[in-house]
Amino acid sequence: MRPILLQGHERALTQIRYSRDGDLLFSTAKDQHICAWYAHNGERLGTYHGHQGALWTVDPNPQTTLIASGAADNTVRLWNIQTGKCLKVWDFDTAVKRVEFNEDGSKLLAVTEQRMGFLGTIVVLDVNQDVDGEQNGEKVLTIQCDESKATVAGWSYLSKYIVAGHENGSVSQYDAKSGEQLDNVQVHDMDIASQVTDLQWSADRTYFITASKDKTAKLINAENLVVLKTYVADTPLNSAVITPRKEFVILGGGQAAMDVTTTSTRQGKFEARFYHKIFEEEIGRVRGHFGPLNTVAADPTGKGYASGGEDGYVRVHQFDKGYFDFSYEVERQAKQQQLQQ
Amino acid sequence: EDKDRGASADLAVVEHRRRLYDEWVQWRQNVLDDIKMEKQELNLPEDPLEGLIKNTSDEENQIIE
Repeated sequence: MRPILLQGHERALTQIRYSRDGDLLFSTAKDQHICAWYAHNGERLGTYHGHQGALWTVDPNPQTTLIASGAADNTVRLWNIQTGKCLKVWDFDTAVKRVEFNEDGSKLLAVTEQRMGFLGTIVVLDVNQDVDGEQNGEKVLTIQCDESKATVAGWSYLSKYIVAGHENGSVSQYDAKSGEQLDNVQVHDMDIASQVTDLQWSADRTYFITASKDKTAKLINAENLVVLKTYVADTPLNSAVITPRKEFVILGGGQAAMDVTTTSTRQGKFEARFYHKIFEEEIGRVRGHFGPLNTVAADPTGKGYASGGEDGYVRVHQFDKGYFDFSYEVERQAKQQQLQQ
Repeated sequence: EDKDRGASADLAVVEHRRRLYDEWVQWRQNVLDDIKMEKQELNLPEDPLEGLIKNTSDEENQIIE
């Protein structure tokens, strides 16, 4: 698995997202611009300039015509992917830490930071799919997080729920139309630093994975917030993703430089870790970054994955034959049985 | 004897995995069935994007015309 190294950011990466058909990659970093790349060869398609602060988050719509971004300049911006034009700026009171489109691209959510005088919120915006059309400046819905601020959030299947991960390690489920909180479950360890650092969906958005500073990732049912699986790592986690086609999950993290006494990359555990999604067992690791992995993303078509590091690099990997051939005896037997029937 | 013990331990591991695997497949099937029903009740297409992506290409065609 030979990675392609994408050099376009000068600061730590914050988020990577693939387009729906896996051909484009979007990356954000603390250096104030968004990059778009061709996933197969790492060629840069373009950059999107306009934000006046560190970028925290990016998401392409399912039609791959628009991207949304959120930044430390207290704005969410909407961009035309093809022309690079900024179509809309929504202003907030505090930094925007996460944006995500719902499954048909008609709505966008934004997670805002908590700061003196301002509670953390999750805000819903309407998005006009027409790149030349007028965008609605109104905030359709605002959910206030009184207990513990949200750090990440996303839309479930049918845009039924908004699910959020919080600073205190809990996960909430809200009615996506009314904003009413339906459930809150303490899925990550409450006694230690357990901030939920990432939340990414299965392809059909019926379940999701969370990553936490408590060194675990959890697979959770979106309907009832029941924890289905737990993946135990030996380092604080910043990101986790479910791989399509193979029953794996990929975790990324690592001790921040200020928290380790040695600077050895081995000590810092700067590796992408592959676990079997169903058996919860670690399968392998991929090395390469010189700092913690801040974000991991999986190609929706199952062909590869990408990681973004505190070191400022994006590494794009295309899976090889060994990856696709790998399966447990139990899985092989089940497949054979299926074929026989 | 040690060999036997190892073999039965292996067997236990495999049986455990088989149980986990079957559980997962069963759960997925239930979820997929439930959503199918829910979508039918709401009169929604199977794929949330099917209609949308067709619409955009229709619009593009119209522009070309």
